Amino acid sequence: MKRTVSVFMAISLIGILVFGGCEKQEKEVKDSTKEIVVAINSETGGLDPAGMIALTYLAYSVSALDELLTFDENGEIEYRAAESYEVNEESTVWTFHLRKDAVWSDGTPVTSKDFSNTIARALKPESGSGYANYLFPIKNAEAVYNGEADIESLGVDTPDDDTLTFTLEKPCVYFLDLLRLPVYTPSCSAYALDASDGWDKSPETSVANGPFYLDEYVPEQYFVLKKNTRYWNADEIKLDKITYRFFADQQSMANAYETGEVDVATGLQSSVMELYEGKDDLYITDTIATRYIYPNLNVKPLDDVRVRKALNLAIDREELCKIVGDDTEPTVNFIARYMKDRQTGEYFVDGAKKPFEENVEEARRLLAEAGYPDGKGFPELTYHYPTLEMDSDTAQVIQEQLKKNLNIDIKLNAQELQVNYTERRAGRFDLCRMNWTADFADPYTYLSMLLSNSTYNCSGIRDVEYDRLVEQSDTETDPVKRAQLMHEAEQLAVGEKFYIIPLYTMKSCNLIRPDIRGIAQIPATGALEYRHAYIAEEN
Amino acid sequence: MGRYILKRVLVGFLALFVLVTASFFLTRIMPGSPFQSGTVSEQVLSALEEEYGLDRPPAGQYVVYLGNLLHGDFGMSYKKPGVSVAAVIGRAWPVTAALGFLAILLAAVFGTAAGIWQATTEKKAVKGGIFLGTMLGTGIPNFAIALLLALLFGVKLKLLPIAGLSGVANYVLPAVSLALYPASVITRMIHNTFRDEMGRDYVALARAKGLRWRRILLTHVLKNAWLPVLNYIGPAAAFLLTGSFVVESIFTIPGLGREFVTSIANRDYTLILGLTTFMGAVVIGINIITDVLGAWLDPRIRRTCS
Repeated sequence: MKRTVSVFMAISLIGILVFGGCEKQEKEVKDSTKEIVVAINSETGGLDPAGMIALTYLAYSVSALDELLTFDENGEIEYRAAESYEVNEESTVWTFHLRKDAVWSDGTPVTSKDFSNTIARALKPESGSGYANYLFPIKNAEAVYNGEADIESLGVDTPDDDTLTFTLEKPCVYFLDLLRLPVYTPSCSAYALDASDGWDKSPETSVANGPFYLDEYVPEQYFVLKKNTRYWNADEIKLDKITYRFFADQQSMANAYETGEVDVATGLQSSVMELYEGKDDLYITDTIATRYIYPNLNVKPLDDVRVRKALNLAIDREELCKIVGDDTEPTVNFIARYMKDRQTGEYFVDGAKKPFEENVEEARRLLAEAGYPDGKGFPELTYHYPTLEMDSDTAQVIQEQLKKNLNIDIKLNAQELQVNYTERRAGRFDLCRMNWTADFADPYTYLSMLLSNSTYNCSGIRDVEYDRLVEQSDTETDPVKRAQLMHEAEQLAVGEKFYIIPLYTMKSCNLIRPDIRGIAQIPATGALEYRHAYIAEEN
Repeated sequence: MGRYILKRVLVGFLALFVLVTASFFLTRIMPGSPFQSGTVSEQVLSALEEEYGLDRPPAGQYVVYLGNLLHGDFGMSYKKPGVSVAAVIGRAWPVTAALGFLAILLAAVFGTAAGIWQATTEKKAVKGGIFLGTMLGTGIPNFAIALLLALLFGVKLKLLPIAGLSGVANYVLPAVSLALYPASVITRMIHNTFRDEMGRDYVALARAKGLRWRRILLTHVLKNAWLPVLNYIGPAAAFLLTGSFVVESIFTIPGLGREFVTSIANRDYTLILGLTTFMGAVVIGINIITDVLGAWLDPRIRRTCS
């Protein structure tokens, strides 16, 4: 009997050694090619810029697709698929001249039709594009989407293969910032006909006009991008291959970095910051995002501005962030802390005084003035938040602080993410957690949310003065005046009417092998870009 | 026997129908919509819901769904553009099945071996060691074991990969994590029955006939000791073959368990229903097989049933 057991043990040990050995060999081969392996979150959505897309597309497109143009970290225009553009004086007609030497990874030229192909497909509701509304500045785009106008009447023209013209409904000064969005990115008209036929994940048809093209796609596991040697700027591209691997769990991602199975792991939990403190692997980036709370204006006593102000002033955001994690940073602004003002090069919110200062004494006084001295008679409010760790911690701290500082009770209601979205959309909440990550690099992405007719305004804000300021800023072409109007609007919404309770902005915690250089951060969103990454030669 | 099998299969289909119906209406009662994503506008959202027929009353949707199901059509996933539910199952099931099968095999082989060893050895240290092992194996949940194994063999010793499915080696740690609990249970069962059986008359008779001790244990005693294990392995296999969300998440394995949990979080109605139906069919199928096997092995069951 003993022998039988020993045989089992011996077989399993040999197995472990053999398999372990295989793994090491694979790694050696990997080291000789210029390849990096990037860990990303679970597969979500497709790769068709006109289709239903989410994180996977965002990871794919930064390496594989060239938008018309983008902005570098200094706010300078970097031409990609286009080589120049013109705009009329009213900022309503924008003409882009495409690169004549640009080709898709299969060798066919990139034409203006490829851009209108994405737009036309995204404007069909069945495409499932969540970005279709960003096309609405274009003339008749909204009508086409709603089936009230023909696609022929759309303000997108392709007079020849290298020219693309957009005619807008009204002036839009941030139109160039929208161009990085998926719906303005080209999709090859030869293959990209219908998102549901799977062209986007099949290497034969999923051609790219950027520095890398799709070589292999294994659902739920990984996808491989290879260098596009036909790329117009191929000389500047140093990597041969980027493999993106899907992970369902942040801890597994960090573990896989530790075992050497991935070279880059992004968006990790804040505990990684302590583990890697002082090491070259740790790479902290700012996200262009704000976490805040919507007080529902249709719920008493939140309709009283003094109560909303009291809640805002009674929260100690320094303490909150200390408890929630090192990856959060307090903010009293609505517009993301790290969004830059292209005119000054400074952070936009630094261009004006803070909307308000925390002050517990003042908060108590205001609450008493509103009829609730020392919180007496104040109804119990419910705070809705998704069951993410960060939000659960936040909720508990806020509950504690408001009890201590104002003697009021907050009931906590953790919800599944999808439930949280639905309840918020329906306006069924007293207080609701909200997060907004910038879609494009302009404060309008934030300010437009609180407009009376905005989809995301789910707390019943109807402010004529605010609407006027934001709409005025939307058509103002003088950048200085425009910035002034936007500061005024934010001051009104956050510092006077207290329509929201801003909490903090987040940092993203990433691990990158120290010998990988040249990874850049996209200024608009804060995401990482690997186009110009390279592996430093070992000394 | 034929009538018995027919009866079991019919009851199985009835159970499956009840399962489909209940899950269909439960998914519709769940708050939330598949197309909410936090960044999607109201207009886009209602256009999508109309496109997918979600604006119609649930009863109407149910009739359509059931009709398609009868033709073997599970429908398309709402959240994975261009991917059918059948394709998701076709991709995830082999992975989960391979892993589950490996885990059952490991559990059966090691559980039996350890159980026999524990029952027959005279060394106190071995007896105690195996007993402690089975206590830990049944006491520690598999996600804790999975994390421990990943940390020890992956992060610290760097012997085995812990993410994805690039080779055979990737199956080792998750299979061991999954196998530990059933292996411990089997060890205990074998140990207990062995202890009882070894005192039986037929063993004494066999010894008196001069048969070798090892032969008595491995052919005569083991046969009887395995009967209760067979009854346990059925449900255990059903559990393992439908996938474990936690273990699959920890080792980044694209299996059924992970698909199932994310489909619920995403409110991917067709995928939830498709996976529930499929997993239900697997569980019911395995139960039928176990019942039929039991009836075949033990005529008493067969007789009472017919």
